[in-house]
Amino acid sequence: MRIAKVIGNVTLSRCHPTLVGFRWIIGVPYSLKALEANQPDGEDLVIFDNLQAGNGARVGFSEGGEGAVPFLPDKKPVDAYCACILDQVKVQ
Amino acid sequence: MQIARVVGQAISTVKHPSLHGWKLLVVQPLGADGKEDGEPLLDIDHLGAGSAHRVIISNDGAGAREIIGDKNSPVRWMVLGICD
Repeated sequence: MRIAKVIGNVTLSRCHPTLVGFRWIIGVPYSLKALEANQPDGEDLVIFDNLQAGNGARVGFSEGGEGAVPFLPDKKPVDAYCACILDQVKVQ
Repeated sequence: MQIARVVGQAISTVKHPSLHGWKLLVVQPLGADGKEDGEPLLDIDHLGAGSAHRVIISNDGAGAREIIGDKNSPVRWMVLGICD
């Protein structure tokens, strides 16, 4: 899982039939320096969200095949899945 | 498997049910020269690795799901060992 800051969300009017009705957020991942300064600097991506992460929240998201595993045995073409909303990230 | 340095901890209340009871560590993967390589990752840990420890992390999602005991867990990265 990487850490990302939520900067917005996406709505879809036309999409794959298995993805109807779900929420999508836009997340910007953090590098280590960015995490210390709380200024995300990665390349933004769209993340599947069923935890209702709000704008400005920090989330942990799974990528690749693991993004689709929570839906099994259903199949969904998801490769970024919001797995946790982070209350606190302590970086020493 | 990769070598990484523990740089912090994360606390989460709202999360996928399979993550309940697991410690979340923020780890920074290291390259062959010992420098930071890539973006920091959230790993689950059951060994009690502390800050600044060097650890071995695995990106085997199937293995992590087996250890967690949930076939639907989105976890991919876990701490396998602490380097002496």
